[in-house]
Parts: sequence; C-alpha cells; structure tokens
Amino acid sequence: MEKVNTLFKVNEGGPLEVTGNFRVVNSGGKIIENKEPVYLCRCGGSSNKPYCDGSHNRNGFSI
Amino acid sequence: MSDPRNRQYTNGEITVFWVPSKCIHATTCFRELIEVFNPGRRPWINMEGAPTRKIIEVTNKCPTQAIVWKQNTDLSEEERANLRQTVREEENPETLATPTGRSEEPVNETTKPTRIKPTNVRIMKDGPIVVEGQFKAIGGDNRELKPTTMTSFCRCGNSRSMPYCDGTHRKIGFTE
Repeated sequence: MEKVNTLFKVNEGGPLEVTGNFRVVNSGGKIIENKEPVYLCRCGGSSNKPYCDGSHNRNGFSI
Repeated sequence: MSDPRNRQYTNGEITVFWVPSKCIHATTCFRELIEVFNPGRRPWINMEGAPTRKIIEVTNKCPTQAIVWKQNTDLSEEERANLRQTVREEENPETLATPTGRSEEPVNETTKPTRIKPTNVRIMKDGPIVVEGQFKAIGGDNRELKPTTMTSFCRCGNSRSMPYCDGTHRKIGFTE
C-alpha cells in the first residue's frame, strides 16, 4: 500500500482527522475543502457540520 | 456459498440482486430512484416503480455492487429457483448492521497510473462520510483499520459498528 496518499485517523471520542491529498465534497459534488488537516464531526453534535466544533467534549461522545 | 440475507427482485424482464454485506450506505440508489429503492418500505426494492431502463441506470451507479442486475434470460437455474421462493422477512440497507469496508482484489501496481487522484471525501446529506481512494485509516490507538479503497464513516454518533456507518442515522432522524 505504498500508493496511499490520505490518512484518516479516527480519534476515540472525537473527530475524524483527515490529512494528505484529498478533497471534501458535499452531496451535490461541490468541493468544500481540500487543505489539510480537516477535522470532521463524528459525534453528530457539532454546530459547524461537517466540521468538528468540540461538541463531543460536552455531549459525552466516547466511541 | 451465498449469504442468507441476499435477495433478488424481478419485474419479469430483469432481476436486481441485493447483497447487503457489500452495502456501505453510499445512498446513491435511493437518492436517485426512491420510487424503486426505498429503505423505509418492505420489500425495499419495488421493481414496478420505474421503467427497466431507469432501474439499470441507477443500479449501475452503485459504488460497491451491493445491487447488481441481470437479464432474466441470463439467470442461472439457482437464481430462477430463488425467484419463486417466498420472500421472508425483509432487510434493507438502512437497518442492517453491515460490516463495512470490502476486501479488494489485489491491485496490480504496474497497470496503475502513476499519478494518484486525491481521495474523495463525500459528506452525504444527513448521512455518513463516504470515502473513496488510496487511503489508510487508523484508530485512536494508531492501529490500522481494515484496508479498503471505499468505506463510509458514521457522522451521526450512533452507529453500532463504529467508526463505520450502519444506517442508524436514518432511524434516529439525523439532520445537519
């Protein structure tokens, strides 16, 4: 897997950290972000979705 | 050996095969053709909902081949027999705890283009993060997760197969 160009780190109780060569697109196919790193909300509670805003620290998200 | 959860549906002309273990909840099918692919209904595939041409078009867009189709004239004996079977309890892509991340065929590096495309990170509306490309995923303990070129990560916080999507977002009414 030497050709891997993007890394996703699933932070326990926190966001999905994306680094490397990638682009974030919305469901309409529009590129909304392509600079690293990006922290994507995994807890469902962010007020700034799809990005993390630290809500996981307040809503008890732990997995 | 086929999975007992697999299903097949026909309109007399073509048959659509549903392989839940391959589904990563990319939601392409029902966003494009809810008349046929409706996870809220049982059975979840209604072959009378659209013309054959349209069903083929959307089925071909499934990124993981969790849904595939065949002309009825091309069905095997076993597939023909399955069509006559009474459909048991229905399952659909939004209620199954689906193992995500499918195993890939070994990649022949010499036939691959040298330039790698950026990994596509798609934010599905009210749904998961669908990832496609040459990537690696690691857990909080830095251990590498199952290698794949396509998967979907939970965004609603409630999946039972974390960190992957299992369709729970729909049950809990997750919205942006």
